[in-house]
Amino acid sequence: MSDALAPLLEARHLTRRFQGLVAVNDVSFSLGEGEILGLIGPNGAGKTTLISLISGTLVPDEGELLFAGRRVERLAPFRRAHLGIGRTFQVMKPFPGLSVLENVTVGALFGTGGGERNRARARERARAMLDFTGLAQRVDQRAEALGGPDRKRLELAKALAMQPKLLLLDEVMAGLNPVEVDEVVGLIKRIRDEGVTILVIEHVIKAIRSLSDRVFVLHHGQKIAEGDPAAVFRDPRVVEAYLGKRRA
Amino acid sequence: MLRWAAIAAVALLLALLPLYGDAVTIQYGINALLVAVLAQAWNILGGFTGYASFGNSTFYGLGTYGTAIAMAQFGLPFWTGLLLGAALAMLCALLVGIPILRLRGPYFAIATLGLSAALSALVANLDIAGRNIGLILPLTRNDTLFYEASLALLAAATLAVAWLSASRFGMGLIAIREDEDAAAVMGVNTTLYKVVALVLSALFTAVAGGIHAYWITFIDPASAFDSTLNVRMVIMTVFGGPGTVLGPVVGAFILSAIYEALASSISTAAALFFGIVIVLAVIFMPRGLVDLGWGFRRMGPRYLLETVRQYRL
Amino acid sequence: MLFAQILVNGVLLGGLYGLMALGMALVWGVLNIVNLAHGALIMLGGYAVYFLFTGAGIDPFAALPIAMAGMFCVGYLLQRFLLNLIVRSALLNTLLITFGLDVVLTYLAQLAFSADFRTINPSYAGANFTLGGITVPLARLAAFAVALLLAGLVWLLLNRTRLGRAIRATAQNLVAARLYGVDPRQLYAITFGIGAALAGAAGGLYGVVAQITPYIGTSLTAKSFVIAIIGGLDNPLSVVLGGLVIGIAESAGSLYLGPTFTDVISFGLLVLILVARPARSLRTA
Repeated sequence: MSDALAPLLEARHLTRRFQGLVAVNDVSFSLGEGEILGLIGPNGAGKTTLISLISGTLVPDEGELLFAGRRVERLAPFRRAHLGIGRTFQVMKPFPGLSVLENVTVGALFGTGGGERNRARARERARAMLDFTGLAQRVDQRAEALGGPDRKRLELAKALAMQPKLLLLDEVMAGLNPVEVDEVVGLIKRIRDEGVTILVIEHVIKAIRSLSDRVFVLHHGQKIAEGDPAAVFRDPRVVEAYLGKRRA
Repeated sequence: MLRWAAIAAVALLLALLPLYGDAVTIQYGINALLVAVLAQAWNILGGFTGYASFGNSTFYGLGTYGTAIAMAQFGLPFWTGLLLGAALAMLCALLVGIPILRLRGPYFAIATLGLSAALSALVANLDIAGRNIGLILPLTRNDTLFYEASLALLAAATLAVAWLSASRFGMGLIAIREDEDAAAVMGVNTTLYKVVALVLSALFTAVAGGIHAYWITFIDPASAFDSTLNVRMVIMTVFGGPGTVLGPVVGAFILSAIYEALASSISTAAALFFGIVIVLAVIFMPRGLVDLGWGFRRMGPRYLLETVRQYRL
Repeated sequence: MLFAQILVNGVLLGGLYGLMALGMALVWGVLNIVNLAHGALIMLGGYAVYFLFTGAGIDPFAALPIAMAGMFCVGYLLQRFLLNLIVRSALLNTLLITFGLDVVLTYLAQLAFSADFRTINPSYAGANFTLGGITVPLARLAAFAVALLLAGLVWLLLNRTRLGRAIRATAQNLVAARLYGVDPRQLYAITFGIGAALAGAAGGLYGVVAQITPYIGTSLTAKSFVIAIIGGLDNPLSVVLGGLVIGIAESAGSLYLGPTFTDVISFGLLVLILVARPARSLRTA
C-alpha cells in the first residue's frame, strides 16, 4: 500500500559511525503517509541510532533524509519537532520533577508547528492525551513516582501531545504484560487511524505482526530484509540473525 | 486571593519604609533589596534552566563599571550610565552565552567563574576603568531615591519571574532543566531559550550593580567582581527555593537579616554561622524553603526525614 | 639558561600542584562530588604538619604520614556522616554543601589558629644546590619527589588492589561496589578519606614551600579544579601531568607577561579550554 502514496519520510544511504563502529550502515527506506512500519533486529543492530538520526538527536555522517519532500538530516531536533516528527525514548526521559500533566503539556506547547501558544489550551490538549493513553487518574503525580508501564504510557502521551505527523516509537511495549501489550497495540492502531504515520521498534513479535503494514530488519547496522511481515518472518536470513537466537 | 493581598501589603510596607524607618534601616534595606535582585536574577537562569552560574558577578561588574565609566569619565547622567551598563552586560551575555551554555554541570559553573575572574583582571588593567585604583562617582545623598529604585527593580525582576512561571517560555526553560535532550526533541529551541534566560539574568544583575555603584560612589575591581557575591546569590536562591517566584526574595531577606545581625557582633562567628546554615539547609531542605513550607503542610516534621531518606546513600 | 631555570621552577611547583589536584580528581571521578572544601582540607593538612613540627619537633617530611592518617579520618567521618546524606541530590546541592563546609573549616581554623602567616621552616629550608647554572632548592625537590611518589602509590592502589578495583567499579556504577562485597557507604567514605589524606599531604608540602593562612583554601580549590579538568579524572599520573602544565605556565607567565596580566591569561585560558574541549564527557557530566 505504501507505494501508492507519496512517501512522508525517505532515508537515502544513511550512515552513522561511533569511533570505528558503524552503527547504521548505508540504510535506505521510505515510509508512506499513514503507514505503520515495524523496525526489528537483534540488540545492538542500530535501531535506536536510526531513530535518533530521524529525530535529530544524532546527525548522520553520510546520507540524506527527506521529510515531506524536505531535506532534514542537518536540522536541529527542535526544528524537526516543529515539522512534525515526534519520538519516544527507549530509556524513558520523563521530566522527573514535573507532574504527569505538566510533562504532557510541554509536548502540546512546543510540538508540531511550534505548538499551542496558549497554556490553558495546551493543558486541555494534554488532558485529552492522558485520557487517551489511560493516565487520567495520574495527572497530578510527579513523573518520577510513576511505575514502569505508566512511564511507557507517559512517553507515548508526551509524543502524541505534539500532534506529530510522524511518530517514532522506541520499544514502548518492552516490559509490559500481554494484556498491556494488547492495549498499547490498540492505542497505536487508533493513532494511525487519526492519520499519523508510525515507525515502531519492537521486540514483541506478536505485536509487530499485528501492527505493521511492512517490516524492515536491521542487523549489524545494515538492512537485511524488508516487506510484508509474514514474508519477512519466513526469510531465512532474518530467522538466523534474529529469530533463530531467540528461539534457541 | 489572600496570598496576593498579603504580597501587596508587604510590598506597600516596604515601599513606605523611608517614611517610618531610620537612616540605618534604609541603608540596610538598600543592600537587602539589591541582593534580592541578584538572587532573583540568578533564579531566572539557575532556578529555571538548572544552569548554575557561579559567575553572575561578570554582569554585576559590567553594570557597575558601565555606570561608573559613563558618570565619572564622561560626565553622563546616572540613567544613561545605567543603560550603558545594562547594554554591556546583555551584549556580553549574548556573546559568551552560546559557547558557554553548551557546557553542563560543574563545567558551566567553573567557566562562568573563570569568566568573571578574567574580566575582573582585565578591568584592573584598563585606564578608562581606573585600573586597580577604581573610580569615584559624583556624590548624591538621597538614600530614599536609591531605596525606591532598588525596590522597583526587585518588583520588576519578581514580576518577570512570575510571568516566566506562567508562560510558555518559562515552561520551555523548566523542560530544559528537567531533561534537555527530551526538551529539544519535543520542540524546545534549547539554545535560544538558554541564551535569552542568560540575557534576562544579566539585565537585572547589571542594573543592580549600577544602582549600587552610584549609591556607594566608589568602585574597584575587587568589589565590582566580588566572587563571594556569586556564591551569595546562589545560596540565597537555593535557600529560598530555586525555580519559584518568591523563594529567592524570601531567602535573600532572611539570610541578609541573619548575616546583618551577626556581622554587627563578631564577623568570624557570622561567617561560621553562615557556613553551618548552608550545610544544614542543603541536608534538610535541598529543594528550598518554599518546598519545605509545602512539605510541612502536607506531612509535618516527617518531611525532613523523608527528604534525607530520598537523597542519602 | 633563564628558560631552563623557569622550567625547573615550574616543574617542581607543578608536581605539588598535581598532588593538590589528585584528591579532588579522585573524589570527583568516583563520587561525582566537586569538593569545594578541598582547598580547606589542604589548609588543615598544612596546619597539622606545622604543629607537628613546631610543637612536637617532628621533621615535616616525617610528619606527613601522621598528618595524612589524621586527614583520612577527618575525610572519612565527613563523608560517612555528612556528605553521604546528600550524594544523590542535585549537583548544585553537593557544590553548595561543600562550599558551606569550606566556610566552616576556614573560620574554625581562624578561631583555632588565628589569621597569622605560618611557614614550616626546617633547618634545610633555605638549602639548595646548583646544577649546570640552575639553582634547585632542596625542599622543593623533596616535595616534588614526595608528590610523585604519592601519585604512583595512588595509581598502584587503584590498579593493583582489590579495594582499588572496587573504587574504580563504583565510579562507573554505584551498585558495583556491592559486587565486591563492599558497602557503598563505606566505600564512599574511604574514597573521600583517601582524597582528604592526599590533600593533607599536599598541605604539609605546601607549608614547606609557601605560607599558610586559614584563607588559602579557596584559591587552592580553584587551582585543583583546573588541574583536574586538564588532567582528567581517570588517571592519577595524568593529573600530575596537568599540575606540571599549570606550574610551568605560571612560572613562565609571571616572567614574560608581568604579574598583572597572568590572571586574565590563566582564567581566559580556562574558559577557552572548557569551551574548546570537544570531549562529550565534559558536556554531559
